[in-house]
Amino acid sequence: MYYPFETQVTPLTNVRHKRMLPVPGEVLVRVGDRVEPTQVVARANLPGDFRILPVARLLGVPISQVKRHLRVNLGDEVQQGQIIARRRGLTARSVKSPIDGMVTASAGGRILIEAQPTTFTLRAYIYGTVNNVLERYGVVIETIGAVIQGVWGAGGESSGVLKCMVESPDELLRGKTIDPPCHGTILVGGAGLDKAAIERAQEIQVRGIVVGGLEPELISLVERLPFPVVVTEGIGTVPMSTPVFHLLATNDGRDASISGRVQSRWDVVRPEIIFPLPAETPSQAQTQPGTPLTVGTRVRMVRAPYMGIVGTVVALPTHTRRIETGVRIRGAEVDVGQRAPIFVPLANLEILR
Amino acid sequence: MTEKQRIGSILLADCGTVMTKAVLLEQVAGQYRFVAQGEAPTTVEYPWSDVAAGICHAVEQISEVTGRRFFDRSGNLISPELAGGQGVDVFAATVSAGQPLQVVLGGLVRDLSVASAERAAAGTYSLVKAILASDGREGGLSDEQHVRAIFDAAPDVICIAGGIEGGATTPVLELVETVTTACSLLDPDLRPRLLYAGNSRLRRQVANIVGEWAELRVADNVRPTLKEENLLSAQAELDALYMQDGVGRLPGMDTVSDWSRASLTSTARAFSRLVQYLWHLGDPLKGVLGVDVGGASTTVAAVFDGRPFLTIRGDLGTTFGGEQLLQKRGAETITRWLPEPMSSDEARGLLINKEMRPTSIQQETRELWLEQALAREAIRTTMEVARPGWKPGAAQPYPHLLPLCDTIVVSGGVLAHAPRPGQVALTVLDGLEPIGVSTLVLDAYGLAPALGSVAAVKPLAAVEALDSGCLVNLATVITPVGHAHRGDLILKMRVTYDDGSTFTVEVQYGDLEVLPLLPGQQAVLELRPLRHFDVGLGGPGKAGKRRVSGGLAGLIIDARGRPLRLPKDPKQHQQMRQWLWDVGG
Repeated sequence: MYYPFETQVTPLTNVRHKRMLPVPGEVLVRVGDRVEPTQVVARANLPGDFRILPVARLLGVPISQVKRHLRVNLGDEVQQGQIIARRRGLTARSVKSPIDGMVTASAGGRILIEAQPTTFTLRAYIYGTVNNVLERYGVVIETIGAVIQGVWGAGGESSGVLKCMVESPDELLRGKTIDPPCHGTILVGGAGLDKAAIERAQEIQVRGIVVGGLEPELISLVERLPFPVVVTEGIGTVPMSTPVFHLLATNDGRDASISGRVQSRWDVVRPEIIFPLPAETPSQAQTQPGTPLTVGTRVRMVRAPYMGIVGTVVALPTHTRRIETGVRIRGAEVDVGQRAPIFVPLANLEILR
Repeated sequence: MTEKQRIGSILLADCGTVMTKAVLLEQVAGQYRFVAQGEAPTTVEYPWSDVAAGICHAVEQISEVTGRRFFDRSGNLISPELAGGQGVDVFAATVSAGQPLQVVLGGLVRDLSVASAERAAAGTYSLVKAILASDGREGGLSDEQHVRAIFDAAPDVICIAGGIEGGATTPVLELVETVTTACSLLDPDLRPRLLYAGNSRLRRQVANIVGEWAELRVADNVRPTLKEENLLSAQAELDALYMQDGVGRLPGMDTVSDWSRASLTSTARAFSRLVQYLWHLGDPLKGVLGVDVGGASTTVAAVFDGRPFLTIRGDLGTTFGGEQLLQKRGAETITRWLPEPMSSDEARGLLINKEMRPTSIQQETRELWLEQALAREAIRTTMEVARPGWKPGAAQPYPHLLPLCDTIVVSGGVLAHAPRPGQVALTVLDGLEPIGVSTLVLDAYGLAPALGSVAAVKPLAAVEALDSGCLVNLATVITPVGHAHRGDLILKMRVTYDDGSTFTVEVQYGDLEVLPLLPGQQAVLELRPLRHFDVGLGGPGKAGKRRVSGGLAGLIIDARGRPLRLPKDPKQHQQMRQWLWDVGG
């Protein structure tokens, strides 16, 4: 038995999205509330600026004498420039607050002044209904729609109208095709994009880009973009796999949410595109998640030379076979529409669900 | 189960970040034998979110081979073994799948207490996110900058060292005050733990300063004197925190704990235990080294003079960390080990793709070479951290080179699954640069950590499993040390096989030669170094005889020189290709 990894490329499913604050805060919605992507659903105070003032050293007095020179108490609000400690006499010196804030600690001849905390706001990110409130931490938002998980991504989250820019999954998204009507949309490319497309997309202010592959020399450029980019297959020029392209193309013009956030290990986060669809009961997936690979399973190949190609498992030989590297390994025979099935190591297959 | 109860079968599992391995040992004819092994992707993430599922998947493969059922219909482990041979008497697990501890280190002097704290942190799966040194080496950071560094690092634990016993007090306490200030500014749920491993006379004052602002733990002073280092206590505390925070929070770990009779051990600790055991079997004047190149981390475990030294790079393995290494040190660091040119962009792209598909394997030879090149650098960079902490004594005739090691255990998927043994041997030789005469032993089934863990439950099983071939001899390596010109004759060697056949070899400086000596075969080597070269037989120019065992890659004579110098482009890749060819890779 082999249990391959799974990637969601689902035309219709129940989407549950957990939205969490980075620190405990306040949840602003209730269970059952309808929310929109840009709606703030929770907020929290993040520690603001602070200053530690070495008062004893600045006044030139022993630590034990600092208290008698202080002009403020713990909990006092202070203004920038306000004197907080003063030493009188021939060698008079004073210490002023460098910021607006509050005196929150005093120890070891030092004073801590904290500025007002900054407020972090958490947005809903997708259209949906609040399914659960995780007190002080966040919410779970539920919707019915399509989900596509990417492989690599950059940038944060965004939402906009999906706009398919290419005719086929192996076409490149080129700068010259990006025109003013693309403003505010999420562009769908094919096998990749050129440098001009990145520059033009930034100029036109698109809301995101989805492509099959990304040339490695463009990675640092993409990482600096103000909008998210999702790569569905891998680094390089890789045609978008057919089910992914088909799902994106058939939903051209729909509202979508896109996230380029990625974390490949420990609390894995995958980039994604979600588009809510008119409420229907999602059909059952072909198999339950986490089931072993069997003959008939639709799989995607994840490593060169077949990266991104989708096919159907037609045989699972029990014996190992030698591959180009010289390794003998177990694999599957996969029908990819060619004359004969191809042999692919089990480790290089994933289920599209 | 009482001590007297029979343990006829032992199931071991190792849950790595990428792969989970399972191994069945069974008593056959009164001896523990390796029976079968399974390997499956680790299942911490969707759709399983249950680390126990990965163990079940790996164990299923053992079931397919042996016909033995290990779990009942409810998914519970059948233990002890039933009369019909179903289930298993003992289950034990090692784990490295947990997120490494995020650590901030604080101390007085960068090269003393902070360096010791750094080595203590490297004794478990950890990532050092920031260093707070009071000696100004880090640019003389102010208290405020220290607090900001802690904020940015968001550590799980802050380890404070500093002050030799009876030494400095004020700067240590000031550092503790700063750290406490940082903790006071954080939300209580997000406050890190504090591990104090400095001047022991200050413990009470430290506790008073920290108060309720953070959970305080105390370990022995990592630098009790200027010359002495004592890491074991701090390492044990940090490892306990890793097992509690990093491993304990893994989904499904409760189930694994319930199955396990012994307490769970981190993979690296168990690996280190095995290396310690091997040291007791070998030449006590030399060391024993273990290198485990995993998907997400690299471990070097060494024993010299009976003292164990454990170093883990929690951020660098052959799946994760390669791209960051490339960005930090330049692609050339990795691509210089390739037998053909590869651009920086191509290397970066391939490393990212591997990171995004951690369980996948290379189907193209270029990608295989890249992974083996990365393994070399993972070993080398881990050695950079490890070696300054070693106390090899007489085993180190040359301070700038690796100490003499009798046995070198090599473990990890990239090595165990390499298509040719010569590739493994060359990767290890390039990564470690051993000297003298060493035996390379390959952990072909990924059993080494498991054997270390079984030693805690049933030491005899570990001994007998080793004897039954769980570790495979990869090669005996002879590395002369000295100075010569390329092509100079530096060693004459007569090889006498057990069947009486013999031949003589003359080794030139710069050569990398492989002589036939199969696994199970033994031979006596008569080594006569020339030009004052040292082959580890007592000093420069010393000749002598050694009885050696064969291995998968044969008998290797590495006369390329130490330290190893790679030619510059354009000959670099040609040279790598030649060496690969020489060792049959």
